[in-house]
Amino acid sequence: MKVIAASEIRGPAGCSDKLLKAEVARFVEPPRRVDRLILQSLLGAAPFLPLLRKDCGLYLAADYPCRPTMELLLEAVFVQHKLPKPLEFVNSVSNAAGFHVAQKLGVEGPNLFIGAGRDLWRQFCEMAALDMADGVVSQALLIHSANPDEFVVRSLLLDNTPGTADSSSFATLSEGLDISRLEIVRADG
Amino acid sequence: MKPIHLYNGCLRSGMGATLAEASAAYLDGRLPSAQWYDLRELGEQRAYLAAPASNLQLEADLEALARECLADEPGPFDDVLLVIASTTLDIGQMEARVAQGEPFHNDLSTSLDRLAAGLRDSLGLAGAFTMNTACTSAANALLYAGRLVASGAYRRALVMAFETPCQLAMQGFGALGLLSPSGHYRPFHPQRDGLVLGEAYCAVMLGEQPGERPLARLLGGFSACDTSNLTTTLEDGSHIDWVMRQALDSACVTSADIALVKLHGTATGANDIAESNGMQRLFAGLQPPSCVLKPYLGHTLGACGLSETLLLLDALRQGPLPPVDYADEAMLALNGAPLALPPEALLLSNFFGFGGNNASLVLQGAQP
Repeated sequence: MKVIAASEIRGPAGCSDKLLKAEVARFVEPPRRVDRLILQSLLGAAPFLPLLRKDCGLYLAADYPCRPTMELLLEAVFVQHKLPKPLEFVNSVSNAAGFHVAQKLGVEGPNLFIGAGRDLWRQFCEMAALDMADGVVSQALLIHSANPDEFVVRSLLLDNTPGTADSSSFATLSEGLDISRLEIVRADG
Repeated sequence: MKPIHLYNGCLRSGMGATLAEASAAYLDGRLPSAQWYDLRELGEQRAYLAAPASNLQLEADLEALARECLADEPGPFDDVLLVIASTTLDIGQMEARVAQGEPFHNDLSTSLDRLAAGLRDSLGLAGAFTMNTACTSAANALLYAGRLVASGAYRRALVMAFETPCQLAMQGFGALGLLSPSGHYRPFHPQRDGLVLGEAYCAVMLGEQPGERPLARLLGGFSACDTSNLTTTLEDGSHIDWVMRQALDSACVTSADIALVKLHGTATGANDIAESNGMQRLFAGLQPPSCVLKPYLGHTLGACGLSETLLLLDALRQGPLPPVDYADEAMLALNGAPLALPPEALLLSNFFGFGGNNASLVLQGAQP
């Protein structure tokens, strides 16, 4: 298993969903009425689009649920005493982000969402290695959406070429690679 | 994959405070009594299958559950991987504060890793993470934890799954129109009217040895994403069929070897049709007996992959499964009479969820 591409995207806290959507649109048509976690995940995955095979597995993690969505749901249910909006509720299911990434990028392998912890990259690599060893996938796309406000999305694409890397962090896994970097500097929100 | 043992199962659910209580009630065909709650705006009520109350907080409840599951295990536990499967996690605690008038602020929303990391540190485990793939969360937790043990990455794994009585889920499913107005939970019935949510807390050990209280061996499984729709799978059943076939292949068995299928059976319109079609594609006219467990446990969402697995495995070791009283009307062959199976029967267990996640597990019961 070898890392073949890496990406890091940073954005300021005030970066609007509209601006994120515009960035996503540079690669794929953004889905409608989705939340920030979904857009950030798409932005992390989209640069790899030309490299992706259909049997790619998707391993996605976030530090937190999408807080703006959570706020909307809580406001509806506990303050306004209304039913939540169906799409907002569906978006709050954490793996909704994985679904949109898989759909937009055309990948059909396993699609896992995990809570990001201190051993995230090692755990990502352990699961991807299982799926590659069993022939379930020939590629693995690992995406970590960190920090919900001033956000950072780090992504790696691995294939089944023999190779070893220190999986303790994004930095060690991407060592020696030319990391594709995008910094969204405009805060228009 | 190399078969991995499931043992030391624990379950607190609407069927009782323990797995033994739940399986005894299930074997008697006793359905639990529902509580009813108000749906916002509509002035209607929906049923909910609540677990017996605990006097502890969620964190303490989970630690007690983990310690119960680990009780017969030799320590230290620094070779144990913990995987937590849940969709609600600690959202209920956030809801309680907002319901008391506290305005939303970011610190209310805790990290997705908080509960797993807390248990890892307090129990001295090798590692821990939270799996959140909607209603396939626990099935995926079992599948990946089992394969990680089989690969030698960890010697043992503890899989914990739970769903709390979370208002966002209870109201959210109401907003989607997926909840049963009647409270009669009847998967695959032609007049089914939706699902009933349930509360559950469960745990199981996985290892290469059968442990003190063996339940089954996990022989294989498969999980993949159907990207056709965020909330339903392809209605022709083709993706479900493919996932079931891949699961059977991974276990090196065929559909003819399967003695019982534990259906996902949400009792929602589209998903029961899709699963029926998937079953027709895989088994054609040779469908083995099939059972549904959600009428007993409710739909325990991210926990159903473990809550239903534990209930089924424990019950199978003790006696014939109860019949489904509407089997002669059902869309596919459910057991219409008490169903006894040999202890080492092969089981195929289906779990499907939002986000296009479909998963199937292949299990073999353990000798009593």
